[in-house]
Amino acid sequence: MVRQGPLRHLRRELFASRLDGLISVGLITAMAFLGLALLRWAVVQAQWAVIQANSTLLAVGRYPLDQQWRLWLLTTLLALASGLSWGLLRGLPRPDHPLRLWPRHDRIAVVLLVGLAVVLPLLLQLSLNIQMRWWCITGLLVLCRWAAGRWGQAIPRPWRRWVPVIWPLLYGAGLVLISGGLGLVRVAPSAWGGLLLTLLQASFAILLCFPLGVGLALGRRSALPLLRWGSVLYIEFIRGAPLITLLFLGQNILGFLLPGGLAPDRVWRAAWILTFFAAAYVAEAVRSGLAAIPAGQLEAARSLGLPLPQALIHVVLPQALKVALPAIVGQFISLLQDTTLLSLIGLLDLLGTARTVMANPAYLGKNAEVYLVLAVLFWCCCAALGLGSRALETRLNPNHQPAASR
Amino acid sequence: MTRLPQGLATTPLATPLTTPWWRHRRLLPWLVQGAVGLLVLVLVAFLLGNLVRNLTNAGLLLTWSWLHNPAGFEIAETTLPFNASMPYWRGLLAGLVNTLQVVVLGLIGATALGTATGMAAFSSNGLLRGLARLYVDLIRNIPLLLQLLFWYFVVFLALPNGAAAVQLPGLVLAKSGLYLGQPQLVNDVWQAPLRMSVEFASLLTGLVVYTGAFIAEVVRGGVAAVPQGQWEAARSLGLGQALTLRRIVVPQALRVIVPALNSQYISLAKGSSLAVACGYTDLYSVAETTLNQTGRAVEVVLILLASYLVIDLVISALMNGLNRLVQLRER
Amino acid sequence: MTSPAAATSTTIAGAVMIEAQGVEKWYGNGYHALRGVDLTVHQGEVVVIMGPSGSGKSTFLRTFNGLEEFQHGTITVDGITLGDDLRQIDAIRREVGMVFQQFNLFPHLTVLENLTLAPIKVRQRPQHQVESQALELLERVGIHEQAHKYPGQLSGGQQQRVAIARSLCMEPRIMLFDEPTSALDPEMVQEVLEVMRELAKEGMTMVVVTHEVKFARQVASRVVLMAEGRVVEVAPPDQFFSNPQHERSKQFLGQIA
Ligand SMILES: Nc1ncnc2c1ncn2[C@@H]1O[C@H](COP(=O)(O)OP(=O)(O)OP(=O)(O)O)[C@@H](O)[C@H]1O
Ligand SMILES: [Mg+2]
Repeated sequence: MVRQGPLRHLRRELFASRLDGLISVGLITAMAFLGLALLRWAVVQAQWAVIQANSTLLAVGRYPLDQQWRLWLLTTLLALASGLSWGLLRGLPRPDHPLRLWPRHDRIAVVLLVGLAVVLPLLLQLSLNIQMRWWCITGLLVLCRWAAGRWGQAIPRPWRRWVPVIWPLLYGAGLVLISGGLGLVRVAPSAWGGLLLTLLQASFAILLCFPLGVGLALGRRSALPLLRWGSVLYIEFIRGAPLITLLFLGQNILGFLLPGGLAPDRVWRAAWILTFFAAAYVAEAVRSGLAAIPAGQLEAARSLGLPLPQALIHVVLPQALKVALPAIVGQFISLLQDTTLLSLIGLLDLLGTARTVMANPAYLGKNAEVYLVLAVLFWCCCAALGLGSRALETRLNPNHQPAASR
Repeated sequence: MTRLPQGLATTPLATPLTTPWWRHRRLLPWLVQGAVGLLVLVLVAFLLGNLVRNLTNAGLLLTWSWLHNPAGFEIAETTLPFNASMPYWRGLLAGLVNTLQVVVLGLIGATALGTATGMAAFSSNGLLRGLARLYVDLIRNIPLLLQLLFWYFVVFLALPNGAAAVQLPGLVLAKSGLYLGQPQLVNDVWQAPLRMSVEFASLLTGLVVYTGAFIAEVVRGGVAAVPQGQWEAARSLGLGQALTLRRIVVPQALRVIVPALNSQYISLAKGSSLAVACGYTDLYSVAETTLNQTGRAVEVVLILLASYLVIDLVISALMNGLNRLVQLRER
Repeated sequence: MTSPAAATSTTIAGAVMIEAQGVEKWYGNGYHALRGVDLTVHQGEVVVIMGPSGSGKSTFLRTFNGLEEFQHGTITVDGITLGDDLRQIDAIRREVGMVFQQFNLFPHLTVLENLTLAPIKVRQRPQHQVESQALELLERVGIHEQAHKYPGQLSGGQQQRVAIARSLCMEPRIMLFDEPTSALDPEMVQEVLEVMRELAKEGMTMVVVTHEVKFARQVASRVVLMAEGRVVEVAPPDQFFSNPQHERSKQFLGQIA
């Protein structure tokens, strides 16, 4: 196709017909009007002090000040682990791409990261000390990424295979760092709040709902009637109820269902309810993936002598999960969004904390600013998850199509 | 030359295998199911046992007679008349009616908005296409609860009252409510044949805008799933754009769209349970108040779950009927 | 006919590899797919099964390795009677390779991984040993260079040859083929049949469902005609094609000619 000049392109896109032209003019006017109003509000009217003054509260809630070094340590460890994994992934030879230390996407990501690390603390008017911490953490991440990409392949292969294990280990260490124990002062879950609580709840539920969901999906397709009907009953029951009623159930009835003292703390109750809730939806996503795999795959695996569990693990599930990946990540995204409901049952997640801030007489009427910031934050997290899933999808699919049938 | 498989054939495989009794092709499934069933049974028995014991200790054993006690709370806005002296069941029913009201209007609104935006994705106008995309991407990545709070606190509660209210032809938006029909200002108070409270309006707007984005994706996907060849075939027969769309594309797209709409409709119904965020009193908030007053947790949760289950089933049944209609046309 | 007792004794050349007697099968919907089928396959034999569509050829073939259950009759494969013991079924599957019409290669694994998966996981043999054997097998079926490609990148004929190599990699004693060339473009049929011919020449016991008359004439020890869930005629290929005994056989040959 011949490339057209930008003007021609614009004309074809916006003014192809008289009606199109009218619509375009109307839309452009409306957008300009709205955009200008928003800009004026953001620059002139809005008072961002409410965010600046409460940034720590929004980030970690009422986590004790003298223990916050633990969270800094955790953030640093996370940065190191991400840098390492990222670099090693990039160092992997790919059949379809020449190996490059800094492909374009990575350069963009690094620039974005560094930009955020410089601009955000500045905008939030954090103290210089804290600003510098963020710079260091970001620097560490990039450094680790570089080193792993540069020399990662020198690590012997059997060792490299164990690198993914640092993530569950880190998760466990993170839980200990956050909640205490093993010689650290205990910080009760009721003191966790803000973004920390939101991320903790979401990650906990995501990690646990996945295996549960896969199990339920397999159960739903099982030949054994009891397993099948049990899974169907569970999935449909959960999917029929609004999350808020299930959280309500968790807060008000779980205490009755377990012997006294065994019922978990309110925060953990919510986490478990979120997990069980999300599992039903993940199960449906996985089921759609399983349905997409031809029966011949399982038959071929079985006729090679693979027992059923191995045939599922090595042949059916890898394919099914790949098909279901977008749907599964979609469920993770809604799960992240659903954590906001915790604020309705009195937990101080990001939204709950924000609402306490807005209830403070000093910041009365600053709803717009706070909600806008929250919306941007959630939007970025969810959009990033979506982007990540699409990237993973193409990565898992290095120019090979599923076996042509017929 | 390669060592060939049949080289092995001289060594017989038939070493007799001893069969443990459980590894029987027909027995094993039952054993597995028995084990799982037993496990579930034990778990349920354990939980129920605890429930009964704990409820007995708390003096809250399952009973429904409290439903007839006077509620003692007011509901700001009901379609079904209700006041504090009426029994709890009447309050819960009023909440249910409120829920149904917002769900029904929401379904209509979201379908209209979603269809319009979904079709906009096929517009010849690039700007319109871009805006449709932006709307979908923006809305789907922001939590519904946050959006509801935004509509209520930032948009509707910020509306001015009286003469300063936003006046559109046939519609006035004021902090005191939405006025439809021919709104008139009487003594600095708007009056109109149809009024909606801002609570209801913000909940409805939030649900419509949120679900509309998902429905737009469903519609877009459904139309895109119709093979390009269908358009070409219709055009080669001399059918116009509009006719092609109406008679050829839409009937085929509906076969993909209707099943997917079902789950969007159900999620709108479930989303309506976030009405508290807008200060609107729906079934869930009545239930919450009821629980706080009576302490009857188990009964209240059962009522809640059952109500939403019934709503879902009704929606599913209607959509299944519609689906049958749509699929049948093919044969 | 060999008596069934011979099958359980030590396997010598020409011994019975598959012994099916009075096999009857109903599908879940009540369809009576196999109505008392008998067949004996000796070691080194190539038995070709033919018959009209829906006559139960695939169903019959799939009972040999337990992919389909049957309600009546007995099947003994390499001395193991297919019974209710799950491990026996697994054992039989290890000794019996199967090649499908639709190839059923694992699209998420490379060609080499397709071959090595089962030997490593089921036979628990060391990876390097299996890999070198797999590469030899791939060389034998003529696709040595494609070992690190994914199945989706190969032509149909290449895929089917990989599927055959995948089965051979488990070192089976019997190979079952269910219309291995039916899904192939005409120009790829021969390359697959060639591999099967080689295999037959090397003495593999094979049961092949196919409509390739030329292949049957050249390679088959016996041809079996199935119709309506029954074996209608069993005869050496020369006799079967030139002088069929049964009315049904004549009718069938008339249709495919
Ligand atoms: N899963 C099933 N449930 C019910 N009936 C089945 C099933 N599979 C096959 N059948 C029926 O059993 C009969 C035999 O099927 P089979 O696949 O064995 O035939 P075939 O001889 O292999 O035919 P073809 O040449 O078309 O492959 C057919 O009438 C078919 O409709
Ligand atoms: Mg067949």
